[in-house]
Amino acid sequence: MADPIISIKSLLKIYPPSTVAVDGVDLVINSGQIHAVIGENGAGKSTLMKVIYGLTAKTDGEIYINNKKTHFSNPQEAVNAGIGMVHQEFMLIPNYTVYENVILGTEPVGRFNILKKEQSRKKVRQLIEEYNLNLQLDSIINNISVAAQQKVEILKLLYRDVNVLILDEPTAVLTPQEIEDLFMRLKKLRDEGRTIIFISHKLDEVLDLSDIITVMRKGKKITTLENKNLSKADLARAMIGRDVVFTVKKDKASPKDVVFSVSNLKYKNEQGIKLLDNISLEVRAGEIVGVAGIEGNGQYELVRSIIGLLTPDSGEIKINDKRIDKLNILDRRKEMAYVPQDRKNTGSAQELSLVDNSIMTHHRINKNLSGARDYILSRRGARDLTDKLINKFEVISESKSQPIKSLSGGNQQRLIVGREFMLSDNFILLDNPTRGLDVGSIEFIQLEIIKKRDQGAAVLLISADLDELFGLSDRLLVIHEGKIIADKDPTKTNKEEIGAYMLGAEAGDYR
Amino acid sequence: MNLLIELIRSTFLAAVPILLASLGGTYTYYADIFNIAMEGMMLIGAFTAVLGSFFSGSWVIGILSGIAGGLFTALIFTVFAVYLKTDEFVTGIALNLFALGGTTYFLRQIFSVKGAFTSSKIIPLPDWNIPIIENIPVLGELLSGYPFLVYITFLIAVLVEIHIFKTKFGLRLRATGEDDAAVDSVGIKSDIIKSKAILLSGFYCGLAGVFLSLGYVNLFAENMSNGRGWISLAVIILTRGRPLGLLFMALLFGFFDGLGLALQNTFIPSQFTQMVPYLATLAALFFYSREKKKSKGESKNESMAV
Repeated sequence: MADPIISIKSLLKIYPPSTVAVDGVDLVINSGQIHAVIGENGAGKSTLMKVIYGLTAKTDGEIYINNKKTHFSNPQEAVNAGIGMVHQEFMLIPNYTVYENVILGTEPVGRFNILKKEQSRKKVRQLIEEYNLNLQLDSIINNISVAAQQKVEILKLLYRDVNVLILDEPTAVLTPQEIEDLFMRLKKLRDEGRTIIFISHKLDEVLDLSDIITVMRKGKKITTLENKNLSKADLARAMIGRDVVFTVKKDKASPKDVVFSVSNLKYKNEQGIKLLDNISLEVRAGEIVGVAGIEGNGQYELVRSIIGLLTPDSGEIKINDKRIDKLNILDRRKEMAYVPQDRKNTGSAQELSLVDNSIMTHHRINKNLSGARDYILSRRGARDLTDKLINKFEVISESKSQPIKSLSGGNQQRLIVGREFMLSDNFILLDNPTRGLDVGSIEFIQLEIIKKRDQGAAVLLISADLDELFGLSDRLLVIHEGKIIADKDPTKTNKEEIGAYMLGAEAGDYR
Repeated sequence: MNLLIELIRSTFLAAVPILLASLGGTYTYYADIFNIAMEGMMLIGAFTAVLGSFFSGSWVIGILSGIAGGLFTALIFTVFAVYLKTDEFVTGIALNLFALGGTTYFLRQIFSVKGAFTSSKIIPLPDWNIPIIENIPVLGELLSGYPFLVYITFLIAVLVEIHIFKTKFGLRLRATGEDDAAVDSVGIKSDIIKSKAILLSGFYCGLAGVFLSLGYVNLFAENMSNGRGWISLAVIILTRGRPLGLLFMALLFGFFDGLGLALQNTFIPSQFTQMVPYLATLAALFFYSREKKKSKGESKNESMAV
C-alpha cells in the first residue's frame, strides 16, 4: 500500500576515534505514515536523522530516497529533495519576525536583490490559515511562546513544501494541551499524504501518535513494529533490554514538622517584571513538594533565591526556623543539598576529575577531607569519599581520575546527585534532577529521592517533566507568572488540570 | 563668517574617512564580528593609494590600489578569524600592529623618508565643482569644490542603508550575526556571509584610506589613520550600526575635528586641541550609556526590532 520514501541499508556512523553511534541500521520509511523512532539517549536516533538530513557524513552504508541512491552533503540538498527537520533546539533568529524567519534562505527578490515581500507574505499567511497555526506574520520570535516558535519551525518546512518532516523530540518543551494540539496538526499533515518521522523517548506519546515504531538501542535497530496492540512495557523492554518500572513505587508520605519555608518572596527584574510575586510555601520533613510550571515563570528565580545566587526584594526563607536568606552561599549549603538544572556549568566542572567533582562543597564542610591542618585537603579522604559515592550511586566509570565530561550524562548526574545526597539529610532542593537522562538513570535517581524522603528529608522538586512530578510529589504546586496558583494532591488531580493551571487558569476555571 | 564656512568645510572633510570606515564596519557589526582591524585596513589603504598614485601618475589607479590594500588586509583577517577560528580581538590587534609597522617600513624602504612623504607626483583626487551652485555665494563655498569622493560617500551611506535593511544579503547578514547555526540550518553558509562582511569592511576602509592620503591631504605620513578606525568603531557601537546614524555621528566627529583645528590658532596648546575629537567621542559614549540605563526597558525592545 505505502511506498518506501526513504530506505536505509546497513548505515554506519563512527565518530572518531571509535564511538559507534549508528551501527549497521536498515530502515524503511513509508510515505504517508507517522514513523516514530524511539530509544534512550545515546541510542543513535538523532545521529541517524542527522545523517539522513545531511548534517553529518555517514561512515558507510546507503541511503535511497524515492528508490534513488542519494547522499546529501548539506541540509539544503535535503530540503530541496523534500525532506525537512525540526531540531530539538530551534533554529530561529530571535529578533526576526515570523515572516522573516520563514523566508530566510529562500528569499524572493526583485531588481538589485531587493526583497520582494508581497507575494511571499500572502503565501505565508495562507499557510498559517490553512494549518490553523494562529501566528502573526510580524511577531518577533523572542516575544512568542515556545510552542508558537515550534509552529514557526513547522511553517518554515511547509513553506518549502517538504514531503517528509523529521521532528526531533518535539514535545519536550510543550505543555499537555500544546502536545495535543501538535499531534492533531501532525495527523492532519499525514492525512494529506506527508510523511512524518517522530523521534522521542516518551512512550505514551509514541503510542498515541505513530503508525509505525522503530526501536533503537546502542546504535542498533532492535525492531520495527506496527502500532497495533502494543503496550508501553513492550516498547520499554525493547528500548532498554529489560523490564522497567514506570511509576516508581512509594509509600504514602508521613510528613512531620515544617523544615523549609518561604514566605512572601518578591523579586522584580530590571524591567520591572514581577518574576517572584509573593511566593510562600512550606516543605515538611518526609515529604516531596513538586513545583510545576512552564519554563520562565519564576522557577529559576525561586531556586536562585533559595541557594543565594539572587537577592530577592523582600521575603523570608527559613530552614528549621532559622533564617537563611541573609546567609552567604556556603553557610546555606551547610543546611541543604542542591541539584542544579544545568549539569555541565553549575553542577560540575567538566574538565575536572571524578574526585574533584565528588568533593565539591564537601571540601569546605566535611572535616574528614582536611588533615591536621584545616586548609590542606587530605587526598586519601577525598579518594575515600569518591569511592563511597561511586559505589553507592552506581556510577559507571573507568577511573576516579578521568574527567567527568568523559562520563555519559546519566553517570554524571548520578555523581552529582550522590554528592549532594551525601551532604545533607535535612532539606533537598532539586531543579530538574533527571532532565535529559536515560530511562535507567531516571529510575535510579527517582528511587534515591524517595529513599531520602523516607529517611525524613524535606524535598522541594522543580521539574518540567509532569510524569516525574506526578510520580514523585506528595504535594504538587503550580507556579505561573511568579505566583503559586495551585496546591494539589497529585492523586486527586490529573495532567490536564495541572496543564491548565500552568497556562494560567484561575482556580475553578477548570472543569 | 569665513571662519564658520571654514569650520563647516573641515567638518565635511574630516567626517568622510570616519563615515567610510564606519559604513564598512557596520557590515561586520551586523555579522557579529568584532572588527577592530579597521584602523589597520585604513592605514594600509592610505599607503597603497599613495603608492599607486605616485607610480602610475593616475588617481584612478590610486583609488584602486587603496581599495586593494584594504581588501588584502581584510582577506588576512577573514582567513584567520573565520576559517582558522582565531580570536577576533587578537587577530585585529596583530593586523593593526602589522599595518603600522609594515607601512612605516615600506615608507622608509621605498621613499627613503621618515615621518611623511610628499611629492608632486602623488596625484590627488579631483575636486568637483557643482554647476550653478558653485556660483551662489556662501552656498557655493559650503557645498562645492570638495574632492569628488566626498559626494560619493554620502550617496554610499544611503546605499548601505538599503543594502543592509532591504536586500536578501542584508537579511542574511543580520541573521548571521544573531544566530549563525540557524542560518546554516536553512542552507546558507554563514562563513561565506561573514567573509563577505569582512571584505566589504576592507573595501570601505581602504576607500577611507584613499581619502585620507589623496583627498584630505596629499601625502602619506606614518600612522596617518591616527585612531580614526577606533573612532569609527565607537561610532558604530554608539549608533548600533544604523547607517544614517553613522552619518550624523561622523559629521559630529568631523565638526569637533575641525573645531580642534580652528582652535589651534588661539592660545590653547595644540596638544589639547588635538584631543577635542577624542574627548567628544568619550563624552558621547558616556551620555549614550546614561541614556541607555535610563530607558533600559525601552531600549531593549528597540534592539529587538532591529
